[in-house]
Amino acid sequence: MTGAGCDPNAAPPAEQPPAALRRAAVGKTLVIGLGNPLIADDSVGLRVVEQLKSRLADYSGVDVTEDYWGGLRLMERMIGYSRAIVVDAICTGTAPPGTIHHLAADSLATQRSASAHDVNLPTALAFGRHAGAELPADQDVHLVGIEAQDVINFSEQCTPAVTEAIPRAVEEVVRLLDALLERSGR
Amino acid sequence: MKRISIDPITRLEGHGRIDIFLDDQGDVANCYLQIPELRGFEKFCVGRPVEEMPNLTQRICGVCPEAHHIAATKALDNVFHVDPPPAAKKLRELLYSIFVATDHTTHFYALGGPDFVVGPDAPAAERNIIGVIQKVGMDIAGRVLKMRRDGHKLIKMMAGRAIHPNWGLPGGVSCGLNEEKRAEIEKLGRDAVEFAKFSLQLFNDVVLGNSTYVDLIKHDMYAHQTYNMGTVDENNHVNFYDGKIRVVGPDGKERFKYDGKDYQEYVAERVEPWSYLKFPYLKQVGWKGLVDGIDSGVYRATPLSRLNAADGMATPLAQQEYQRFYETLGGKPVQPTLATHWARLIEVLYVTENWVRLATDPEITSSEYRVLPTETPTEGVGCVEAPRGTLTHHYVTDERGLVTKANLIVGTTNNNAPICMSVKKAAQGLIKKGEVNEGLLNMVEMAFRAYDPCFGCAAHTLPGQMPLEVRLRDPQGNLVQRLTQYVD
Repeated sequence: MTGAGCDPNAAPPAEQPPAALRRAAVGKTLVIGLGNPLIADDSVGLRVVEQLKSRLADYSGVDVTEDYWGGLRLMERMIGYSRAIVVDAICTGTAPPGTIHHLAADSLATQRSASAHDVNLPTALAFGRHAGAELPADQDVHLVGIEAQDVINFSEQCTPAVTEAIPRAVEEVVRLLDALLERSGR
Repeated sequence: MKRISIDPITRLEGHGRIDIFLDDQGDVANCYLQIPELRGFEKFCVGRPVEEMPNLTQRICGVCPEAHHIAATKALDNVFHVDPPPAAKKLRELLYSIFVATDHTTHFYALGGPDFVVGPDAPAAERNIIGVIQKVGMDIAGRVLKMRRDGHKLIKMMAGRAIHPNWGLPGGVSCGLNEEKRAEIEKLGRDAVEFAKFSLQLFNDVVLGNSTYVDLIKHDMYAHQTYNMGTVDENNHVNFYDGKIRVVGPDGKERFKYDGKDYQEYVAERVEPWSYLKFPYLKQVGWKGLVDGIDSGVYRATPLSRLNAADGMATPLAQQEYQRFYETLGGKPVQPTLATHWARLIEVLYVTENWVRLATDPEITSSEYRVLPTETPTEGVGCVEAPRGTLTHHYVTDERGLVTKANLIVGTTNNNAPICMSVKKAAQGLIKKGEVNEGLLNMVEMAFRAYDPCFGCAAHTLPGQMPLEVRLRDPQGNLVQRLTQYVD
């Protein structure tokens, strides 16, 4: 399993870069939460972006949204964007629930970034490019996976460890987004 | 052979697991497929207003939300004892036809197509949708995306949202069509018919023109002699939205034909101690285990089953293809599982023709698309043909319309028993005298892909890369070999 875990005792969130830098980023950015609102920890991606909508309200060129499936559908949502951050539950079994992983697009699938009924994300992106769609490069697609405990039971609540991870995941996405925007604005 | 007790609760770790027990000769004696399913749905629904069910149930699975939405809406009609006006039924069937066309097309190019167009012996890295477009031509990619884009656009136009409609009501739907929308739907429907014809031609040229592939389709390793189930109209033609549920035997003869509301007289569910999966079977035939034959209650509900259960297709081009299908494969019923991929394409042609037929129906722009319920809610069943098989929603409410009981039989669930049988048969063909053929995992996966199962854990898996663990055990139950793919 690749990806860095997130230290729960990490320092408070860094200051946001100046607004001028955020506006200067080349191309649009998609921040998309994936999940199922009815299946316990499988809803965590949706809950994280729900909070991100207000946190990122003054970021220009950044769209924050949600969806419920991966594969071709996820690729289609990325059309027209230069970079994307996907937030989702993940079951690696290698870290405690609530651990936050930062993954590359071609690494282990999160709960919904792939689909058993069509294709995995890198294949979907390649397919879209063949069709002439404007899509981010693979290295510009980032997955933020929150280690889940329960993705089997119907429930409108996440488990406690995953619930506790939501604000940390929000900060991690903001930190990642700021770094990507700063990098692209140079 | 020693009897081994398998406890699924402690063994399942989010991926599919197959335990294969060998006999004293090293051949396959028994095979147990275990896959975790989503749990607690009925409990989750109890106490909720039953009108929420079309929106709740469509969240169960992101692949066929429209199927759940429409089945739930039909169940609401019956819970509230109300008959929607003709225009409402036509509108529902139109949306449903658009959905099935989009879903089936995606499945063929992303899943079924790679097995045949690229070839089952090709490296795994090439056996995907990219391999298909490299073999067939890059413009296919654009056509597949257009089909999906058109389908999602029209569903959003009709039902408020692209993937999760917000539309079905007891007694009808929440909005209708004006002429401008109708014309758009017709235009894109005609495009869809052309693409369906193209896809069938592709299958004809690449698959049926290759004797190796035809032999693969007909191969006994994937054939079963089961009953077949599907919904038919008054002419016994395939219908996805409504009709009677018809079951034909392994001999091709009609055995049962019933209204969806009577499903419990015909279908029972078997619980086995070694699996979370329930195994629906034909009650009046009886459970004889995971075995083939006219005396076994095992049945299949797939695109192939629908064609077998019907006498034909209701639209002209699809009917021609239906006839050619049976002429090519030796008459009815066709039982080799891999023929499901071909059957799926014939269904695409039917639903796209039906899409245009409904879009040009004079009543489709009627403003009479709902009647208000007036009776006290009690109980109701709604059935549709989900892409993966017959879907049944059954709700019981109190007098206030709050759910007291909910039961769903989803498309894939119908096929739990035959999927296990297909896995066992593949294993028996590939494990001899304790020697395991390298292609075991891929051949098992091909059986899965034909059914396009919606197992809960499969939500996060990679197609062509389904996490699977196969454990071979000797007659004493000792683990002798472990094969895995995409499992740590």
